[in-house]
Formats: sequence, C-alpha cells, structure tokens
Amino acid sequence: MRTKDFAYWLFLAPVLIALTLVVVVPMLLGVYYSFTSWNGITTGEFVGFQNYIDLLKDERFLDSLWFTTKFSVVSVILINFIGLSLALIVTSRIKSSNLLRTTFFMPNLIGGLILGFIWQFIFIKVFASVGEMVGMESLQVWLSTTETGFWGLVILMSWQMAGYIMVIYIAYLQGLPKELLEASEIDGASSFQRFRYIVFPLVAPAFTVSMFLTLSNTFKLYDQNLSLTGGGPYNSTEMVAMEIFNTAFVQNTFAYAQAKAIIFFVIVAIVALFQVYWNKRREVEM
Amino acid sequence: MAKLLMEQLTKTYDNKAKAVENFNLTVEDEEFIVFVGPSGCGKSTTLRMIAGLEDISSGTFSIDGKKMNEVEPKDRDIAMVFQNYALYPHMTVYENMAFSLKLKKMPKAEIKERVRNAAEILGLMDYLNRKPKALSGGQRQRVALGRAIVRDAKLFLMDEPLSNLDSKLRVQMRTEISKLHQRLKTTTIYVTHDQTEAMTMATRIVIMKDGVIQQVGTPKEVYDQPDNVFVAGFIGSPAMNFFNGRIEGNYFVMGQTKLLIPDSALPNGLDNLEVIIGLRPEHITHKPDKDQSTVEVNLDVVELMGSEYMVYATLEGRSFVGRVDANLNLSAGTVFAMAFEMDKARFFDPTTEKRIK
Ligand SMILES: Nc1ncnc2c1ncn2[C@@H]1O[C@H](COP(=O)(O)OP(=O)(O)OP(=O)(O)O)[C@@H](O)[C@H]1O
Ligand SMILES: [Mg+2]
Repeated sequence: MRTKDFAYWLFLAPVLIALTLVVVVPMLLGVYYSFTSWNGITTGEFVGFQNYIDLLKDERFLDSLWFTTKFSVVSVILINFIGLSLALIVTSRIKSSNLLRTTFFMPNLIGGLILGFIWQFIFIKVFASVGEMVGMESLQVWLSTTETGFWGLVILMSWQMAGYIMVIYIAYLQGLPKELLEASEIDGASSFQRFRYIVFPLVAPAFTVSMFLTLSNTFKLYDQNLSLTGGGPYNSTEMVAMEIFNTAFVQNTFAYAQAKAIIFFVIVAIVALFQVYWNKRREVEM
Repeated sequence: MAKLLMEQLTKTYDNKAKAVENFNLTVEDEEFIVFVGPSGCGKSTTLRMIAGLEDISSGTFSIDGKKMNEVEPKDRDIAMVFQNYALYPHMTVYENMAFSLKLKKMPKAEIKERVRNAAEILGLMDYLNRKPKALSGGQRQRVALGRAIVRDAKLFLMDEPLSNLDSKLRVQMRTEISKLHQRLKTTTIYVTHDQTEAMTMATRIVIMKDGVIQQVGTPKEVYDQPDNVFVAGFIGSPAMNFFNGRIEGNYFVMGQTKLLIPDSALPNGLDNLEVIIGLRPEHITHKPDKDQSTVEVNLDVVELMGSEYMVYATLEGRSFVGRVDANLNLSAGTVFAMAFEMDKARFFDPTTEKRIK
C-alpha cells in the first residue's frame, strides 16, 4: 500500500508543484496583499478591509465594472447569435462552405492588439471618409464618444470571436443525427420549425461551452480595449481589466489594485459558474 | 388512403453508380408492400425517394395521380418509421407523438385524444411522460410507430423497423404491425432484408437486387413461382437447393445420378439441354417406397428441429438440405434413401438464370 501511495503522489507531483507555484501561492499572496498598503516596493502595513471599503466608493472602478457588464452582455448575445448563424450557413448545403468556414475563422488568428489598431483605422479613417462622402455626421465621430467607443468594442469583439464560436456550433450541428432532422421534416416541420423545435434544443450543450468562453473572454478583455480606445474618451470606455492595470502600474497602488482584482475574480467566477449550472440543466442527453 | 405509381424511378448518386434503376411499381390502396433484398440493393434509397428525402434522378412518382417528384416531404402526407427510431431525445413520449399534430395547429384536446388512442393501441399509456432514453428498445419502437399512426397519414413507410430488436420481440412486433395494418388499412411500404418478415406480413413482395426489381408478387407467388434463381434462393428458409445437370428424355441427369421427372412437371423442349433445377428442402424427404427419384446419400449433418430433421447431405459433389419426419431415427454419417419430389422441381436456364415454364 505504501509504495502505491508513493507512486501515486510521485505521478501527481509535477502538476501539483506547478499548480501550487503558479496558481495557489500567488493567489493566496494576492489575497493577503489586498489587506495591506503594499505599493510595489515596500510590503506596507496591514490595513484590514480598508482597500475593499475604498473601492466601493471608487467611481472610476464602479463605472468600469458597469461598462464591462454592459459590454459583456451585449457581446455575448451578439457573438453567439452571429456564431450560430454562421454555423447554420456553412453547414447548409451551399457550395463554398469550406472557403467560408476558413474566412469566418480567420479574424481569430489575428492578435488582439493588432486587431484593435486595424479597427481603429477603420472606425476613424474609413468611417469618417465614408461619412464625409455620404454626408453622414454620425459616421465621422467614431470612437470619440462613449457610445461609439462602446459599439466599436462590441463590433471588434464580435468580429474576432464569432468565427471561433462558429466552429463550436458547427461541431455540435454536425453531431446531430441526420434521422432526427429527416423525421421532423416528415412530421411536417418547416425549416424554421425544425430549427426552433429540434436543432435549437439539441445544440444546448454548445451554448454552455460558447457562453462560458465568450463571457470569460469579454469580461477579461484588455488588449483590444487598450489598442482600440485606450479607455478614452475620459476613461469612459475603460474596462475592469484595464482599470485594475492602471490602478496598479500607473497609480502604483498595488494593494488597492489587488483588492479590485479579487472582487473581479469573484464576480467572474460566480457569473461563469452560475451560467454553466443554468445551461447544464437545460441540456438533453442523447 | 393512397394509390401509388412509380414509373422508371432511377437514382444515381454523386459517385455515378446507379443505386436504383427503372423501378416500376403500382401500389393499390390498403396494400402492405414489402421491399426485400440483400444489403445495398437499393431498398432504402427507393423508400427515401418515396418519402422525398432523396431526389429522384429520373422517372416519376405519383400519389393518387398527383406527381410528387418536386413536392417537399412535409407536404406529402407520409408517415415514416426509421430503423433507429429517430425519436426526439428532448421530448417525452407524449410530445414525440404529438409533435406533428402540434405543427398542424390541431386543437390541444384533439391532440390529446389522438395520442391517447395511439398509446392505448400500442400499450404505451404508462410511459407517456418518459423521455426516450428511459425506454427499452421495444418501447421505443412502439413510440416510433405511435408517432406514425397519430398522423392519420395517407401512407406509412417503414425502413427495417424491427432490425434492432431481439428475435422474440421482433416476432411479437411483427404481428402487432400486421394487426395495426388490418385495423387502420393505411397503405404501407415496409423495407426489410429478412425474408421471413416479408413472407409473413406482405400482401405483395418486391424482391430487389443491385437496384433492379427481380420479381413482384404475393408471398405465395414468389415462393411457388420464382422468376429466377435469385428469387428462388432468397425466399424460403432454409434456401432452395439447386442442382446443375441436363435433361435426357424424362430424366434429370447429374453425374451418375438419374432422377425421373413426371411428364406433367417437365417443360417442353428441354431434351438434351443443360438446366438448373431447384428443389425446396421440404421436397427432398423420405418416402417408404423406393422409386426412380430415390437416391441413397451419405448424411453429413442431422439437425433435430423438434417435429422434423434438417438433413444436410451431398449428392454428386453438391450439398443440399432436406426435411425428414422426426419419427425416423437418423444420425450423421449413415446412408439414407432420400426421395426427390421431382414433380415439385423448378427449372432454370443456366445462362440467364430465368425460370423455364
Ligand atoms: N448517399 C449516398 N451516396 C452514394 N451512394 C449511396 C448513398 N446512399 C446509398 N448509396 C449506395 O446506394 C446503394 C443502395 O443503398 P441503400 O441504402 O438503398 O441499400 P439498402 O437496400 O437499403 O441496404 P441495407 O439493407 O443495407 O439497408 C448502395 O450500393 C449504397 O452504397
Ligand atoms: Mg437500408
């Protein structure tokens, strides 16, 4: 028994050690620091819940949290809607479906920062030129208002992630038994009814996966935020990740940033777990 | 209630191979037609063309005189039972059966009554609230049938609906489907590769091979009057025995063996020609008196089936099966006189394999 136990722990050791070193220890240290006045150089003294009390009154942080939430909700809906639509298009019997798949997936291969700069060019230069040509004022001010900054981020994110989510939906759509669709056709279902009553309920597992991925990706968004709007105008499009970064590395209040990060972590964890639990309940076993 | 007409139906898949070729068939109202044939002969393809799930490459298919080639499956008023049931896994038994009615916007009360009726007939009343995965194979099969019968469709199509069941359940469901047909009288096309199912259920059998119809007829016709060697060998279990030889006068000659054929059974103009004769196992048996169609053979294997023996023996290098009453005491390795009832023999042309009448 003893040797077996030893071998058991020996095999687990590499993962356990790595996990402890890079996840557990920093996490615990982080929790500890959030109760101090650490500024990145000196450890500082223990301040109890002061950081947490402060951040509840920190409007810039609360604004960024609210902006991030709005952005995530809108993006998650849009990305899943577009992703599923693209998946339905490329799994239908159209000719160029392989080419389309590749095309739709491509944006996902471009790094977030670069993508942000590309879209910045599109929004500022291309939109403006087009706006000038057709005489539409509203196209000429992109990214210079909170409103357009928000939608700019949503568009960028959807453009990048929809193709990725599409691939997940494709996998599930192709896993649907062909007979079920044929049976529903014979039962008299139109193509819309077929989607509504058969396809949609049966790709539910894909929602769980896709929503989890989109939610966590949009909540933690940083690169695209940085390169597209940089948080502007007046920090009004600053998302939580960026706000925390600024708190830590611009204002050098590391412990305070750490407290924000802990709150952020808890929120993301609760949202993600809740949605997985909720979606799982609706899933059907084949 | 439907009368079907299939004229020159042909299906060519992308790979250019013809899965079904020149399929001609008229199905009268209330008939129970069985398509039977070996795997890959095009039964499912034909059925799917009828259902509209597969495009018809050429030829026409019509129901009650109305051409159906371009009509969508949902508008053909056809109910179909799939081989693997194809029940909707996220719906209960009740919802599965009610689905088509719900799509037709039928009033709730009427849906309920119809589903309950069907469930009553099929003994599914206790399972209406279960999901398919909580049912046994036989129960799933009945739900699939139920889904078809609530529709009150013009035509039932069934593609090997019993092939996933164990043999006992298969026999039981076979009679249930037959009873159902007698009760509802809906025109039915049933696909199987099991000739026993075909023989027991069909009003007429369509035997197919390599995408081509070999023969269409009642079970009795295809059993007694097979058009060719393939049909003769496919229908009946154990299969018909075939012997190659030649006709000399009134005798069938095969090596050293000569068997007398009664005048009435011998087709004209066969003298001195090579033929294949076919004899069913029940026509190779035992007779108390020896005559010119009795041959002494060495018994290879003897299987007691209860009331009779299946006797496997070899004659002139050809193995064959006969059936002998179980009252006789037989054992393998012994020599036994088998009577060939040559008046029951069927004659086939060795080159075309068609029957000589
Ligand atoms: N989608 C397809 N593409 C190309 N060839 C096909 C396709 N479906 C069937 N075939 C071919 O058509 C022929 C007839 O197939 P079909 O499914 O009708 O046979 P079947 O009689 O139903 O056989 P089984 O008893 O095995 O179900 C086969 O040779 C098969 O390989
Ligand atoms: Mg088949």
